[in-house]
Amino acid sequence: MTDVPVSNIRNFSIIAHIDHGKSTLADRLLQTTGTVSNREMKEQFLDNMELERERGITIKLQAARMNYRGEDGQDYVLNLIDTPGHVDFSYEVSRSLAACEGALLVVDASQGVEAQTLANVYLALEHNLEIIPVLNKIDLPGAEPDRVKGEIEEIIGLDCSGAILASAKEGIGIHEILESIVHLVPPPQDTVQEPLRALIFDSYYDPYRGVIVYFRVMDGTLKKGDRVRLMASHKEYQIDELGILSPNQIQIEALHAGEVGYLAAAIKSVEDARVGDTITLAAAPAKAPLPGYTEAKPMVFCGLFPTDADDFEDLREALEKLRLNDAALQYEPETSSAMGFGFRCGFLGLLHMEIVQERLEREYDLDLITTAPSVIYKVRLLDGDEIYIDNPSNLPDPQKREAIEEPYVQVDMITPEEFVGPLMELSQSRRGVFKDMKYLTQGRTTLTYELPLAEVVTDFFDQMKSRSRGYASMEYHLIGYRENPLVKLDILINGDPVDPLATIVHRDKAYYVGKALVEKLKELIPRHQFKIPLQASIGSRVVASEHIPALRKDVLAKCYGGDISRKKKLLQKQAKGKKRLKAIGTVDVPQEAFMAVLKLQ
Amino acid sequence: MVDQTVNPKFDEADGCDRTASLYPSISQWMIPSAVAAQEKVAIAATAPPEQYPVAAYLHIPFCRRRCFYCDFPISVVGDRARGETSGSIAQYVAALRREVWMTPSLGRSLQTVFFGGGTPSLLSVEQVDALLTTLDQQFGIAADAEISMEMDPGTFDQSHIRGYVAAGVNRISLGVQAFQADSLQACGRTHTPADIPVAVDLIRQAGLENFSLDLISGLPHLTLDRWQDSLERAIALAPAHLSIYDLTVEPGTTFAQRYEPGEAPLPADDATAEMYRLAQQVLTHSGFQHYEISNYARPGFQCGHNRVYWENRPYYGFGMGAASYVNHQRFSRPRTRREYFTWLETLEAAGGSLDCPPTLPKERLLDTLMLGLRLADGLNLDILTAEFGEAAIAPLLPRLQTHIERGWVEAAPPRIRLTDPEGFLFSNVVLSDLFETLS
Repeated sequence: MTDVPVSNIRNFSIIAHIDHGKSTLADRLLQTTGTVSNREMKEQFLDNMELERERGITIKLQAARMNYRGEDGQDYVLNLIDTPGHVDFSYEVSRSLAACEGALLVVDASQGVEAQTLANVYLALEHNLEIIPVLNKIDLPGAEPDRVKGEIEEIIGLDCSGAILASAKEGIGIHEILESIVHLVPPPQDTVQEPLRALIFDSYYDPYRGVIVYFRVMDGTLKKGDRVRLMASHKEYQIDELGILSPNQIQIEALHAGEVGYLAAAIKSVEDARVGDTITLAAAPAKAPLPGYTEAKPMVFCGLFPTDADDFEDLREALEKLRLNDAALQYEPETSSAMGFGFRCGFLGLLHMEIVQERLEREYDLDLITTAPSVIYKVRLLDGDEIYIDNPSNLPDPQKREAIEEPYVQVDMITPEEFVGPLMELSQSRRGVFKDMKYLTQGRTTLTYELPLAEVVTDFFDQMKSRSRGYASMEYHLIGYRENPLVKLDILINGDPVDPLATIVHRDKAYYVGKALVEKLKELIPRHQFKIPLQASIGSRVVASEHIPALRKDVLAKCYGGDISRKKKLLQKQAKGKKRLKAIGTVDVPQEAFMAVLKLQ
Repeated sequence: MVDQTVNPKFDEADGCDRTASLYPSISQWMIPSAVAAQEKVAIAATAPPEQYPVAAYLHIPFCRRRCFYCDFPISVVGDRARGETSGSIAQYVAALRREVWMTPSLGRSLQTVFFGGGTPSLLSVEQVDALLTTLDQQFGIAADAEISMEMDPGTFDQSHIRGYVAAGVNRISLGVQAFQADSLQACGRTHTPADIPVAVDLIRQAGLENFSLDLISGLPHLTLDRWQDSLERAIALAPAHLSIYDLTVEPGTTFAQRYEPGEAPLPADDATAEMYRLAQQVLTHSGFQHYEISNYARPGFQCGHNRVYWENRPYYGFGMGAASYVNHQRFSRPRTRREYFTWLETLEAAGGSLDCPPTLPKERLLDTLMLGLRLADGLNLDILTAEFGEAAIAPLLPRLQTHIERGWVEAAPPRIRLTDPEGFLFSNVVLSDLFETLS
């Protein structure tokens, strides 16, 4: 690797909505600059797509350094820094953007701007990034570049006269994109002589080398063997390995201001090298860290309990291991009379929660009971104390409380105008407060509501998608706490209160939620040999009740003509269902029941 | 016992030139074929002789109409068609015989043959005879073999039944289903209550006392009183055997479109559970043994063929949709005639060997449990341990403890069985627990 002058470095990221072609464009840039061979590209491209489709999120490329000889004959180093594509990770996005001077705004020429894109563009503008609009998928028959240009200009206020028309898939416009990066994205400031400050924008845990930290050197120079200090975690490490990403890791002796690279220094957990932390030299530390570092703040909580009590220690170990790689994950032991020993876990958002659950089940082979997600309530007590409750079953008695406050978020939705009605209806039914509505362009409207987070973490996103037939997109951010007349709704199965099913709801909705919950439970809990009453109550007042009739028979009449396969499948399905049953008193309750509150219509 | 004078040639049924060249040559079907002999060696190397099948099932898919509860692989031929006149029935019988010829014999003669359907009583006497002759020549049929045939009231006359008996049929299973006109009608059955005693008389006149009646509980409009009446009428016909099936509303059937299980006009679940108990009470008092979840027999008249299934022993299966279990290979044939004919060609091209993985011991154990616990005899844990190993069998008895306590399972080690009627009624609860333990 030759030493590159700061003036010839360009650091940029790509902002795009899911499916608007970010990965394809990134792959194409790597290919065109010869960073990755065509053969390697094929494999990588396919893997990315499959995973993306499965989870609906962008799999991170993290970063890639590309060498590019411009039309002016000069050699440039282009660093592409990837950003996660989901609202749960907006802090991580902001740190990635802080490491760049420019960004490609990639918009599907047939779809237009989506809420998520918008949120990230605003973040990029906050960081004074040069934004280059790219209209992708220009080759598709439905492409309407002029409409989408107008939309970008109107919504974001970004001049689109120079917007690049591209098709990453077909290789159209790639050269123009590379030239624009060289000419429009400003070079980093040359601060090579100043004390070292490097911004961590990503990290992951490698079992052999410890945490691998991805960073951008903002000031000064960093060399292999240097002793560094992390200014937020106050830890010090000797750098064992230093390198660049192309996109595979290639070791290098030194990196200076403007460059992007990785390091390994026997760091034991990503918690010790958090995204946003500043790396400086232990011997000659910078005066102040880079701005913008914040602790991870979980917004959504749920209880995780092993189906089999014997797996509690395994669950603890699995959570410990996941946390090595996920500083935002929080957990603490929780004991529930109904569920036994488990953990109360905190997540950045719903997607983060789902990813963690799935990894625990897939990678650690644990059978888990997950309780419905909850948020943190602020409870003001009569004695003047203020406490935070992340578990509805811990809510103090009404006699002790003065008020309950709940977190609110601002939700921005972008939708074709024909779905404005249904989305307003949805937002109203979730206790939303209307804030704003703007007609952006023909057929596109933004809708802004303030909503209790508790209403958003249930199935709001799914409902928004289904009521807009998939066309609407949304983004949300926390705006503070508000007092509301909230009550604790208990669910009793066969007379026993089941604390994982307890929820905190608005008083006016308690009857509706209670009724819907017991009806849902009636569907989900299998019949037993006895009649099972189901009740929803506020305190001692029953607001809704149902019962599950007793099982009278469960027998297969015949296995006709020796063909046993179908009957066997039935029994196997039944057996599989039993694996997910949790005994609550004498009633076996399936895992889905604990998420029932999410499935209410 | 099988009339050897009928010439087992295929030409009578050959309506399809395309496949004519695929028929085995005379030399192949007159003596055990070379292919079959080779197969015999190959199979003998992997399965002990006691694992060779002694039971054969032949599927005769033709029905006048499709009953509203039926999801079996059948072909509807209308009210007039019979084997004597229908080209498609003749073509199918020819195909069936080709399949028999292609199936390697393992050298044990058949102890049971079962003509199931569909409506086998739509076959001509010659067709039944030809099929039995083919089986006899390919595998041999033991002199005392049980040869069962399913028949529907109103689909056969005296000459048919006498002919079937002459061809070797010695056990009849009569599809009565119900004794009430409205219930029969609600099922889309073609017969009326009046056809039932007529059919039984025809069977008796042909000299057969070994016959069974099929009844379905839980049919539309059925009440406990009417069910009691049905049971009494059935007993009055003095059958040797009774099959009592609780209606299952299978997806895709007319019933599934019309009815919701447990809701009117279908009887409620507690009513059908009571019907099950009532049948058990009434029939056992009348001298029937409740030997399987859905089957009752006078002493000595259990269905040997069905016991092969329940004891998880091997059997041949022939015809569309038919299942076979040979050399641990469990195989289900295509469920339409067209697909079955095509498959038959590939079978012939492959020299009669099935492309099908063997059932692994773990799966075999599940099969053995699911089938064996249907029998009043239950299962012997020592025998299971010998076959499947201590590690797999040891956890079963502890898992059954709660069921033993609530009286659904009776354990007199090494024997375990479901109790009658309560254990039988909840057999899936018990079985799915055992399945879960083993998964």
